Amino acid sequence: MITLIEETLTQFLFVIFLSPLFAGIFARIKAMVESRKGPSIFQPYYDIFKLLRKDTLIPENSSFLFRYVPYVAFGVYCIIALIIPVVIPEPIIFTASADFLGGAILFSLAAFLKMAAAMDSGSNFTAMGVSRLMSFNVLGEGALITVFIAVSLITGTNNPYVTNAFLVSHPSANLTLVHVFATVAFFMIFLYETGKIPLESAGMQELGMIDEGLNYEYSGKLLAINKWSSYIKQYLLGAVLLNVFLFPWWLTASSPGFLLDIPIMIGKFVLLILIVMVIETTLAKVRLFKVLDYLAVAFTFSILFLLLSEVIP
Amino acid sequence: MNFSSAIYLTSAAVLITAFYIQGQRYLISAIRGQLVQSTIIAAIAFILAYTENSIDLLILGILLFFLRGVLITYLLAARVPMKKAYYFESGINVPYLFLVDLVFMVVSVFILYSIAFSGLVPVTLPDSPQDLLFPLLLFFQGLFLITSRRSTFTQIVGYVEEENALVLFAMFLLPVPIVIEASVFLDVLALVVISSVITVEKVNHEQMEELRG
Amino acid sequence: MNSGFLLAVLLMVAPAIAAATFFKRIEYSTIVAATVDVVIASLLYYIRPPVGTFFVDNVSWVFIIMICSVFLLSSIYSLRYLSGKTRGFGLRIYYLLLNLFVISMLFSALINNFGLMWVGIEATTISSALLIMTEKTEGSVEATWRYIILVSAGVTFAFFSVILIYYSFGTLNVSAILSMHSRNTFFARIAVAIALIGFGTKVGIFPVHTWLPDAHSEAPSPVSAMFSGVLLPVALYVLFRIYEIDPDPELFIWLGTLSIIAASILLGYQSRYKRMFAYSTMENMSLALIGFATLNPLGIIGSLYLLISHSFSKAGAFYSSGNFLKSTDTKNVEEISGTWKNMPYSSASMLMSSLGVSGTPPFGTFFGEILILYSLAVGNYIPQLILIVIFLVTAFIGINYNVSRMIMGEPANFKEPGRLMPAVSIISASIPLLIGAYFLVVFNALV
Repeated sequence: MITLIEETLTQFLFVIFLSPLFAGIFARIKAMVESRKGPSIFQPYYDIFKLLRKDTLIPENSSFLFRYVPYVAFGVYCIIALIIPVVIPEPIIFTASADFLGGAILFSLAAFLKMAAAMDSGSNFTAMGVSRLMSFNVLGEGALITVFIAVSLITGTNNPYVTNAFLVSHPSANLTLVHVFATVAFFMIFLYETGKIPLESAGMQELGMIDEGLNYEYSGKLLAINKWSSYIKQYLLGAVLLNVFLFPWWLTASSPGFLLDIPIMIGKFVLLILIVMVIETTLAKVRLFKVLDYLAVAFTFSILFLLLSEVIP
Repeated sequence: MNFSSAIYLTSAAVLITAFYIQGQRYLISAIRGQLVQSTIIAAIAFILAYTENSIDLLILGILLFFLRGVLITYLLAARVPMKKAYYFESGINVPYLFLVDLVFMVVSVFILYSIAFSGLVPVTLPDSPQDLLFPLLLFFQGLFLITSRRSTFTQIVGYVEEENALVLFAMFLLPVPIVIEASVFLDVLALVVISSVITVEKVNHEQMEELRG
Repeated sequence: MNSGFLLAVLLMVAPAIAAATFFKRIEYSTIVAATVDVVIASLLYYIRPPVGTFFVDNVSWVFIIMICSVFLLSSIYSLRYLSGKTRGFGLRIYYLLLNLFVISMLFSALINNFGLMWVGIEATTISSALLIMTEKTEGSVEATWRYIILVSAGVTFAFFSVILIYYSFGTLNVSAILSMHSRNTFFARIAVAIALIGFGTKVGIFPVHTWLPDAHSEAPSPVSAMFSGVLLPVALYVLFRIYEIDPDPELFIWLGTLSIIAASILLGYQSRYKRMFAYSTMENMSLALIGFATLNPLGIIGSLYLLISHSFSKAGAFYSSGNFLKSTDTKNVEEISGTWKNMPYSSASMLMSSLGVSGTPPFGTFFGEILILYSLAVGNYIPQLILIVIFLVTAFIGINYNVSRMIMGEPANFKEPGRLMPAVSIISASIPLLIGAYFLVVFNALV
């Protein structure tokens, strides 16, 4: 029981407190690739602390949604951090509260809440951002959910821990068609959800922003919370991609051994960052309306190979 | 890694080229996509020729690569118009096409397969009868390409894709006598030559008042 | 060397020799070759090639004689019809393609192999595609394109059926498969169903018929005559051979009925006479398909009877349409009236052939239809029979109403286009009368 509590705490605290670090590492490595000096890897923390100390401005026309949703969304991401194998490859205390599909739906719930709150601010810019996001999410969320179902087809359960264990013990299962294409589709979705370069560039905010558009009216404490939850989301998606799809190995679940998972997870995530970095520095950003094409490809692949896996074991 | 899973993954690659062609706006990319597709199918023929120890399949692979891959690509690519208004197809809505395509595939292929083809026992690939699904998917993908596009070139590519699906199907199920296979190839080649005569006259195909009803 | 075998080879060699005279008077050598072909085809009735490379029985013989005679008529008719055209291909290329077209059709009808039959059908598409766009109008280019892409997509689908036949029986030899005893395997049945859709595209069965009216209305009239008169029947022949492997009458008869209904309804809406005749072809082909599908010997003979009379009648109809088009320069029924006074021969042949294609009593088509309907009644397909009769009557009224509107009325100032063309159309339109008159003779010859 003690071990279980320890594991739960480790996973939860790891996700909450280390997720901004990965954003920092990403920015640093990107700067290095572009031969700049770049910010410190702790820059996201500094940003969050700075914002927490600032005053919060709230638009006159907004209602309670605008004020409370950042906290609720943060809470939703915290719940997801407890139910999917993002650090510990073994069920922890709250795992039983939802399955993999539940995790996917919670992601959608958080996205929906954030969009509703952003609309509530009544600003034109956020309205534009939300409408973009809505038209993209038709395919994006659909693909996300489909991919989560696809992975459960390999093992026949909807439990990501079982899937992880199965993939570790059966290396050849990693090469089945449904797994390969679910991975490709999920990787594409990952790039979209985390706003990486072929789809969204942090540089030119108004023109290319998709996800950033939601934060347009937020300031101070609320903005800090929002940023933090988006770091958590990025980490969660990345960790699922790593542990269930791309690279399920090397995690340990025994009592003192689980502490080793922390450096291993950091290492694996840095690996993922490097892969993303290659894509981000070699590809050009696509035009905004081509994002839909990109998502359509991801969606098609996930559905098609989901169906294929029904016929071809 | 054994041969059946190699064939399985390669045929998945064929399917990807089919989707690549479906999503292409540029005519020349679609034509090159066809080249890649034929080459992959030729590669499957070579793998099968090796495992089955069959000289017919070897000839088939060589024919596929040269007639379909090289010659048809050359014939079509030489005729793509240089005018900017023609070398890509405008008004292609990729997400819409893909979603309709998906529904079409599900309705046609999966239902057709489960009704008609699921009991087939391939002579060439006895342990993986489900691989027959790939040629069927490719066939209906080619059909969808023809119906969803207005350009002569893309429609020809769609037709060649259908023929590729036939070859793949025949290869998987059991190799048809080489005389017939070869004459099929020549037929298709001649048809493409004939079609390319039309590309000189007409690049896009729309509804016509004269041909209504 | 067997003399029957030699005859069958000669049948295909004659047009090939004509095609070889490309640079010197190809039009006349084509006519000579066509005449030779008609003679050889008649001889072929008595001297059959041994079953081996070729497979000729009474059924395929009917198709061969049809091909040769319509070829002869068309090659004579084209001589005048195409002489005034300036745009498009020259006369030489036209005749070259015509010869190749005939060779590929004869090949499909003669050969004893399902795979090569498929190849032959595909080759007919290749050789006939450019014939449609002889005049190179915008409409004809578009019609050619639809023809190529729709028909070849359909025929490609039919190759699945060939593969499945090979899978089921281990051979593609027609006579060998038809002499096997247990042919009713599950995949043979699937192959037959696929062939219905695949080759049905070329025959003009309802959901996949859409290329047919376009090609027929835009092609030059002698080519339309070849299409309606022989190309579609040849595709039907191949379909019939596959159907014989493992018959599924329910499916074929229902689809044929549906096709007749669709054709009759669409026929009523047409304002262009060549399109109208195209739909009439579709209706007749579906009826012949139904006759074959009953598998009753009388039904099969009825179908052959219908096909051979229809091929002359329909060729006559398209030749007459060609005469009308040549002198009035319009394809629209509304713009033509009162041709009886100044175009007596063309009007007569038009009337005769339209009565012929709609199955009026003295013509051969009528007897064919009666035999088919009789075998439907014997086979207990009563609902289909009732529907077919209703829509045959509808089609009859539709065609003849339109044709009489063109012919009757206030005399208009149109001129007969020369002498040769009306002569050919009159001959072509009156042959079904002879076939009808000598019903019993022909019947006994086909049994």
